[in-house]
Parts: sequence; C-alpha cells; structure tokens
Amino acid sequence: MSLNEAKMAEIYRTMIRIRTFENAVRKLTKEGKIPARFGLYTGQEAVASGVSAHLRKDDQIGSTHRALGHLIAKGCDLDKLMAELMGKQTGFNHGKAGPYHTFDPSVGALGANGVVGGSVPMTAGYALANQLNGKRNVAISYFGEGGSNQGGVQETLNLAACWQLPIVFVCENSSPEIQRMLGHDIDYPQLSIDNVSQRAKNYGMPGYTSTGWDAEAVYKIAGKAIRRARAGKGPTLLEFKVHQLEGNLEGRLEANEKERQWDPIDLFKQKISRKLDEQIRAEESRNVQKAIEFGLNSPEPTPEQAYTCVFEEAA
Amino acid sequence: MPTREITFGKAINEAHFAEMERDPKVIVFGENISSQWREATKGLKERFGRERVRDAPITETAFIGAGVGAAIAGYHPVVELMLVDFGLVAMDQILNQFAKTTYMSGGAVNVPMTLRVLTGAGTSSGATHSESLHGLFAHMPGLKVVVPSNPYDAKGLLIASIRDLNPKIFMEHRLLYPVKGQVPKEPYEVPLGIANLVREGNDVTVIATSLMVQEAMKAADELKGKISVEVIDPRTLVPLDEEAIVGSVKKTGRLVVVDEDYLHYGFSGEVVALTAEKVLKSLEAPPIRVATPNIPLPFNAKLEKELLPSQEKIVSAIKQAIS
Repeated sequence: MSLNEAKMAEIYRTMIRIRTFENAVRKLTKEGKIPARFGLYTGQEAVASGVSAHLRKDDQIGSTHRALGHLIAKGCDLDKLMAELMGKQTGFNHGKAGPYHTFDPSVGALGANGVVGGSVPMTAGYALANQLNGKRNVAISYFGEGGSNQGGVQETLNLAACWQLPIVFVCENSSPEIQRMLGHDIDYPQLSIDNVSQRAKNYGMPGYTSTGWDAEAVYKIAGKAIRRARAGKGPTLLEFKVHQLEGNLEGRLEANEKERQWDPIDLFKQKISRKLDEQIRAEESRNVQKAIEFGLNSPEPTPEQAYTCVFEEAA
Repeated sequence: MPTREITFGKAINEAHFAEMERDPKVIVFGENISSQWREATKGLKERFGRERVRDAPITETAFIGAGVGAAIAGYHPVVELMLVDFGLVAMDQILNQFAKTTYMSGGAVNVPMTLRVLTGAGTSSGATHSESLHGLFAHMPGLKVVVPSNPYDAKGLLIASIRDLNPKIFMEHRLLYPVKGQVPKEPYEVPLGIANLVREGNDVTVIATSLMVQEAMKAADELKGKISVEVIDPRTLVPLDEEAIVGSVKKTGRLVVVDEDYLHYGFSGEVVALTAEKVLKSLEAPPIRVATPNIPLPFNAKLEKELLPSQEKIVSAIKQAIS
C-alpha cells in the first residue's frame, strides 16, 4: 500500500508533534517545571507515527517507560499529557502516573509502563478482549530490544501465538550496531542474534526487521501486520532499528550532519512541500505552547488525593 | 433460600456457573482448567465454550498479565493460578500491574479481575507447593484478599468477588475442597469486608482464617464446657473487618490468632498490632499467635505437622491465654 498525500501529511505531522512536544519537555525539565528526567523518543518518531497511521481510536497500545511518542501518535490530548508530566491535577491521571504510567483509555492508550517488558502481557489481554468482542480491533505491544529478553515478553509471544490473538509486537531496537544499555557500550551482548525478529518463527508467527527511521517503510510493514491481525490471522513480531538521538538534539528541531542519516523527520521532510512543512511546524508549535500553558496554569492535586483511587470507588 | 449439602469445591464451581451465566463478560482461564479432574472449573468449557473458557500454557506471567489487560479492556476475568507458590514467578504482573494500575492511572481504568489460587500445607508437598502467602498479598497496596473457610462463604464470596470492580486474590485452601456444608442453590453474595462470627463465646477471642477456622472450631469443641471460646473468621484480609475483631477482644479481653501463613510480618502480627493500638487496656493477658514458623515447609509428613498450627496447638494456646 503506497502512501497518499493525506497519509504522508498525517505521518509527518505526528512526527513533528512528538519532536516539538519532547523538545518542550527537555526545556521544562531543565527549568524544573517537570520534576523528573525520563527517556524520550527522539529519533524513533517514524515508528509510532507509521504504526499509528493504521490504527483506529479504539485499537489499543501498551507502551514502555519511553512512551511519549507512542501516546502522542495514538492521539492523546497534549494538554492533559503535559499536565500529567508536570504532576498536575488536570493530567490524565491527576499526577499519579507521570511519564511511566500514563493511561488514557479514551484513545486506547493503555499504559506507559515503568517495568521493562511489563506492559506486554497486559497488551495480550487487550488483544484477547478484541478477539472476544469481535469488533476487529488490534492491540500494539511496544517494547525495546532489552525488554525483548524479559521472560514475560517471551511467554506472551507464545501465548499470543497459541491463542492467535490480534496483536502486533513492535520491538524498537535502539542498538542497531553496537549493543548499548542506558548509553553504555555493554561488554557482554544482551542479544546473541542479529535481529530480534528471528525469534518470531520459533513461536510460530511471522517476524520482520526494517529500518525504523524511514516512516514510509514502517507504514508499509506495519500495515501488513495490522491487516493480518485484524483479519483474525494472528500475531506478528516486527522489529524496527532506530537511533536514539535525544542526547544530540537538546532544544533543537533539527539533527546535526552525522545524525541526519537516521533522523526520521529530516528524511521524510524531502517528501513534503516546504509550504506544508512550515504550516505543520507552526501549528504544532502552537499546540505544544498551548499544552505548556495549560500545564503551568493547572493546580496541583490536593493532599487528600494521595489517598484516593487505591481501589475503584463505587459511583 | 433453601439449602442442600455440597462440598467447598462444588460451591466454587457453582459460583463460576452462576456468574458466567449472568454476565457474558466473565471469562475464565488458567492451566488445565478444561480438565474434568478440576472440580472448580469442571463443565465450564462444555457449557460456555472454548472462547470464554481457555486452557493457558504454563506461563503465569503471560496469562495473569493477559487477565489484567482483558479486565482493563472491559472483561471480568477469573484467572486460576494452580498454586499460590507459582504466583511467585509472576510477581511483576500481580503486584505491579494488577494491584497498582487503578491507582497509577488515577482511576482512569480499573482492573476487575479475580485471581483464584490454591493454597495450603498438609499434603506432604514440600516447600514450593504448600504455602499460604495471604500476608504477602495483603501487605501490598491495591489487592483485595479473600480467604474463604467453608462452602457457603466460598460460593458467596466468589460471586461477590467477581462482581467487585477491583483486583482480588481469592485464596482456596486445597484441604477445604472436600469439606461439606449447607449452600443455597441460587446465587448470592457474601459481602467483602464483613467478618463471620462463627461461634459466640465470652472467655477468649480466636481469630482464624481459611482452613484454620475449621481447626479453631475443633479446639473450641474440645474445650466446650470449660472455656467459652469466641471464633471469628474475617473472611477477607483486605478489607479487614477491624470492628468485629476489636469488639470481640473488648468483650473477652483475651486473644489467640491462628494463621497457617508464616509467623513473621504477617496476618497474625497485624491482628495483634490492631488490638494493641485500639483496645490495649481491654487486654487481660498477652495475645498469643499460633502460626507457621518462618521455615520452608518440609516434605516429611511428621516434620510438616511439627511446624503447622493444629487443634492441639490451638487448645494449648487458649489454655495459656486463660491462665
């Protein structure tokens, strides 16, 4: 399936929205207006944007501790997201979640997750619900190459294949050349194979590896897997190789020369007219600015709220 | 409601049938649950089909997590964990995801899943097939912990649990399965958080859970005519009916707690702390805990019996409390 102009613009806009939002987050963190540092998605925007371009509002995603890209691509409201990152009362989760546990069920964004690989078994549960209710929804399970080794992830690949669940596993491999963990070149490898997707066939599902900085490639390969899941033909494991550029993009929208080859926005920009590019960037800057103001002007939760929501409170 | 005598296992089975019949969102899965040898889930697959009733591979993390996800997505899963000890391989999904998601999401989602687990010692099964562990789950925030002790409560508490919108761990001592009792045929709820006054008495309060309620009652029978024993079964550890416990101790002034779970940092200590905080001045003697010492349970039946609470140990604890 080739990309028409509207889809191209949609994917590009999503990537710009994520980049602009995260650059604002960097700045606000530095200024102390967001109280904690956390992993950002810069350099990976093509993956969530290309995948989400196929998703319906009521399809679900399960995400990671590097969730902003996934959440924004799934359609989360920027105001409430920013407020949540600031720990404010008006955030999606009233300041209890922060970046690691953000939930927005209104768009099927069913969880950032603070535990590496932690959301993957749960996402199989969203897929199980989809299979039972017959609405042909699909669940997307995001994790990284480190998370791919977790027992729960391996167990879930098996379970999803045994139950033929409508789920697509999306592994974002951020160590495409040298195996790294938290920015450190690790001495012993954490993967003994070249591609995480090689493991798919051992669980009885198709697996594919692709570059993750080419949004068009992501869109095509994700489309195939998502259509397969929607048609009731079972799970697929996709792997996208990505470069996390966050360290080199402090406060800037553009990558430097070396990063340019992997910067999904820089690469995709060539396919968009200059006029549209400028328009999208201006609009998304305004959206993010509005979110910042919403967050900054929102109240903190009250001390009493520390005690609420441990259990579901009867309506 | 008219009743008839059935076993604890049959009562659990009837609760499943009633709730699956009532609500199409109730689904059931776990290891080997379609087997005709598994009394709790026997016949469910034949009645409700293999979509709603599924055997799961031996991957506790994956299928408990899938239950959590299905619950968030609007279903009411009843997930069976074959033995509580095996839950220890899936603690991230149970304690991080299942228990905490309601709070972490600020109430944006809830997790109406019931995790049924078999528990308990006394079958010479060794240290990884015999534990109780309700104290461990009750310690962590976010889980309701249900510990039925008889067939009537088992049915009513399981129905109430499935209908409750929170995460529940429902703990069934396997030696209770053949125990018989009067149970209505119709569905009914035993509300979570209300203790059962099993036996009224004036001299000493015995708080016991699960199988130990049966042992406490035998001890009370043995002492009949000599010591008037009040036996209270909290039925749920979270929420805990503090008033029932405190009220009884206020009346009797003496307390024995019987718990098959480990002694240290557990339910028995919680009850003693509660009474110390709330009714210290009513206590006429130091409270006594009869619980399993913090030792892995041995295979040898005599060694195992040595460590577990028993009628004999309870009788001697009651006598000590009175003296």
